[in-house]
Amino acid sequence: MLTHIIRKLLYTIPVLWGVVTAIFILMAVVPGDPARIMMGQRGDPDTLARIRHDLGLDLPLTTQYTKFLKELARGDLGMSYRNNEPVTTAIAHRFSATMRLAFWAMALAVAVGLTAGVISAAKQYSVFDYTAMFVAISGVSAPVFWVGLLLLLIFAYTLGWVPGVGAGDGSWKYLILPVITLGVRPAALIARLTRSCMLEVLNQDYIRTARAKGVAETFVIAKHALKNAMIPVVTVIGTQISELLSGAVLTESIFAWPGIGRLSIEALINRDFPLIRGTVIVMALIFLVANLIVDISYGFIDPRVRYDNE
Amino acid sequence: MKKTALLISLVMVFGLLAVGCAMAAETPVYGGVARWHEVSNPPMLDPHMATDTTSARTYILMFDTLVTNSDDGQKILPWLAESWSASADGKVWTFKLRKGVYFHKTTEGGKATANGGREVTAQDWKWSFERMIRDKSPRAYFIDMVDGYQDMVDGKSKEWKGVKAIDKYTLQFTLKEPFAPFVSVLAYQALCVVPKEDVEKHGKNFRFHPVGSGAFTFESWKQDQKVTLKRNPGYWRKDASGKQLPYLDGFEIVVIPESTVAWEEFKKDNINFMRDVPERQVAEARKLLGKNFLYLPQPGIYYFGFNMQMAPFKDNKKLRQAMNYAIDRRRLNELVMEGLFTPAVGVMPPSMPGFNKNLKGYTFDPDKAKKLMAEAGYPNGLEITMQVNQSARNKAVAEAAQAQLAELGIKMNIKIVDWGVHLDMLDRGECEMYRMGWVVDYLDPDNFLYVNLSSRNPGIKGNYSYYKNAEVDKLLDEARVVTDQNKRIEMYRKAEEMIVEDAPWIFLLYYGNWIATQKYVRNAVLPAFGDYSMRMDDIWFAKK
Repeated sequence: MLTHIIRKLLYTIPVLWGVVTAIFILMAVVPGDPARIMMGQRGDPDTLARIRHDLGLDLPLTTQYTKFLKELARGDLGMSYRNNEPVTTAIAHRFSATMRLAFWAMALAVAVGLTAGVISAAKQYSVFDYTAMFVAISGVSAPVFWVGLLLLLIFAYTLGWVPGVGAGDGSWKYLILPVITLGVRPAALIARLTRSCMLEVLNQDYIRTARAKGVAETFVIAKHALKNAMIPVVTVIGTQISELLSGAVLTESIFAWPGIGRLSIEALINRDFPLIRGTVIVMALIFLVANLIVDISYGFIDPRVRYDNE
Repeated sequence: MKKTALLISLVMVFGLLAVGCAMAAETPVYGGVARWHEVSNPPMLDPHMATDTTSARTYILMFDTLVTNSDDGQKILPWLAESWSASADGKVWTFKLRKGVYFHKTTEGGKATANGGREVTAQDWKWSFERMIRDKSPRAYFIDMVDGYQDMVDGKSKEWKGVKAIDKYTLQFTLKEPFAPFVSVLAYQALCVVPKEDVEKHGKNFRFHPVGSGAFTFESWKQDQKVTLKRNPGYWRKDASGKQLPYLDGFEIVVIPESTVAWEEFKKDNINFMRDVPERQVAEARKLLGKNFLYLPQPGIYYFGFNMQMAPFKDNKKLRQAMNYAIDRRRLNELVMEGLFTPAVGVMPPSMPGFNKNLKGYTFDPDKAKKLMAEAGYPNGLEITMQVNQSARNKAVAEAAQAQLAELGIKMNIKIVDWGVHLDMLDRGECEMYRMGWVVDYLDPDNFLYVNLSSRNPGIKGNYSYYKNAEVDKLLDEARVVTDQNKRIEMYRKAEEMIVEDAPWIFLLYYGNWIATQKYVRNAVLPAFGDYSMRMDDIWFAKK
C-alpha cells in the first residue's frame, strides 16, 4: 500500500509539470496583453513599454518559462500583475472559503445521494423511488446558476429564512444556500449511480443466500450490498471534485462567495498570468490529491485491490 | 370670542410644531454607514496606481486633489488649493494651498500612521507628483506637459524641476508650453497628495494600506467581499453651520458580482447605494424610490468607429455617412437602453463645456442613406464585421444596429471578444469597425476631441479610427494653447463640425448614469462625471 501511495505521488510530478507547461503556453498564445489592460482604455506607448518591462513581459518566452519554473520550485507563484499581491497570499485569502464550500457541498451530496440511492434501490418502484429519481434527473439537468438564483429568490428574498449573498460574519447560515446550490448536481449523480449499482448487487446470488439464511434486510444492504456497490460510486465521487471546483466558479459569482473560483475569473479577464497559473496549479493539485485519496480508498473498500497491488 | 382665540392659538401652536418637525427632519444628523455596491473587488487603493473606476470610487473618499469638478461639471472648484493663477504666457501656474489640512492620524482599527497626522504642505504635493513618475504610475502621463517630466522619466533627473514648492502653502507648476485645460486636468482623481512616510513605510503595499487626507480613513479590506472606511475625525471640511464633516460613520464597498442579485439585496436594505441598476429594473427602481433614484446624462459617448485605414471605409465618406443616416438612434435607445441614454448628434455630449446645441448631426433618414450608399459604390449593400467587447448591453446594442443596417442591405457580422483582445486588436488597427465608448477624464473638449480624434493620438493613444484631417488637427492643436475660453470653444465647435461631416464614427448615444439610493439617504447628488466620483462628505441618513 505504501509503495502504491509513493508511486501515485511520484506520478503527480510529471502531471503537474504538464499542467503548468500547458497553462504557460496557453497564456503566451492567447490574445490580450495584461500590461495593456492595466493601462486602461487609452494609454501612452512609453508607459506601456515600461509596465511590460517591469512585469518581465518583454523577456523571451523561454526566459520567462525558466524563471517561472525556478520560482515554482521554490514555492513562489509570483506576483499578481493587477495589484502586485503575492499570488500565494491572494490564493490563501480565498482558499479556505472555496474549500469550505466544496467540502460541505460534497458532504451534502454524498449523504443525500447515497441515502437516496440506497433507499431507491431497496424500495425499487416505490413512490420514494420514483420521486427520488425524478428529483435526481432534475438535479442533473438544472444549471447551477439557475438553481442558485431560484434558491436565493425563494429562501432569502421572499421567505427571508436565510441570508442572501456574501460570507457575512463567517457563520454557517451563509453557507446554506451556496452549499445546496453546489451540491445538488453531484447529489443527483451519486443517487442515480448508487441506485443502479445497488440494484446490480442486490440481484447477486450471495445476497439471495444471505436473505435465505435470515439475515436482516438492513444488514444485507448495509454490510453485504453497499460495500460491493461502492467502487464505481467512489470513482464518480472523485470525478465530482473537479465538477465542484468548476461549479464553484458560478456559485461563488451568484452568492458573492469570496473563493478561488471568482479569483480565477477575474484573473482570466485581466490576463493576470501569475494568478491564472497559480489558481490552475492549486486546482490541479486539489484534483490530484482527491484522486489519490479515491485511489487509496479502493483498497479499503475492496481488499482484492490491495492484494493486486502487493 | 374666548373660544375663537383658543382655536386660533391651538392652530398656531400645532402649525409651529409641524413646521418645527419638518425643519428638524431636514437637519443633517450624524451616523450610519454607506454600503455601496460594486460588481468586482477594487484591485488596489493607491490613487497613483489604480486605473479603474471601482478603485477610484473607494480612494476618492480617502484622498484629495488640488481642485475638483462641480457636481454639474461646468466649473472647477477649489479643493486643497484655495486659489490659483496663471502667468500672462500661460506657462506658470501658481496654487495657494488651504491651511489646516491634515493627513490621517490613524488607520486600520486605530493604528497610528507613519506621518502622525501632520499638515499637508506644498512639499508633499511635489513629492507626490515625483512619486508618480518614480514609481511608474500609469497616470503620470496626464501631466506630461509639466516641464522636466521627460527628464524624470528617463532618469536624467531625480527632481521634477517643473513642480516647485515655493513656500509651505504655495505650489507652482511650470509648463513646457501653455496648456489651457491644465487646471481641469488637475481635478482628475488620481492626482492626489499622499504622505511620504506611509508610502515609504509600505512601499508597493501602500495599495493595501492607503493613507490620505480625505473624509474617510481606511479600516479594513476583506478581499472580494468588503472594503471598510471610517469617518476621519480630523477632516478639513465643515458644513455651512460649521459642523465637522462627514456626517456618516463609515463607508463600505460591498462586492456582489451579479447585478440582479444586488438589486434584491438593495430592496432588503443590505446595500443603500446601488450603481448601474440593470436597465430592466430601472422602472421598478424609479417607482420604489422616487427622487432617491438619481439619473443624469453623463459626459460620455457610445459609438461605433470605422477604421479609416482600411477598406471599405478608407476614403469613402459617403459610405460612413450613409451608415450614420441608417441608424434610428431614438428607437435603438428606447428598445435596448429603456430610454436611459440620449441619441448623439456629434462627438461632445450636452454636459460638456462647448457642446454645440445647433449641431444637426445625422438624423434617421433611410432614403438619404440608400442614396449615399449608391454614390459610395454599394447600391446593393455590403458585408462588414464589427468587433464588440463582451457585455450583455454591447451585444444588444450591436444586434439592434445590425437589424437596422440590414434594411439598407448591409450585412454586419458581430464579433464579440473580451476587453483585452478588443484593446489588442484596436491598438494594431485590425478591426474594420468596432464598438467603443468614451467618458471624459477631465471636463474639457480637449479630452474628447484631441484624445479621440487627433491624428497625434493614433491607436493606443485614443484615436482608434486612425482618423486624420489636417484642418481638424490644426484647430485642436491651437485650442490647447489659446487661453481665451470663448475662442477655444469656437475652435472646438468648428473642429467638431468637420469631424461630424467626415463621419469617422457612427455617433450613436450619449451615456446616462444612474444610481439607486435608499429613501432615507439625504443630500446625494449624482455628479456629472458619474456615480464613482460622488463624494460622501455631506451625505446623511434620515434614519440610523
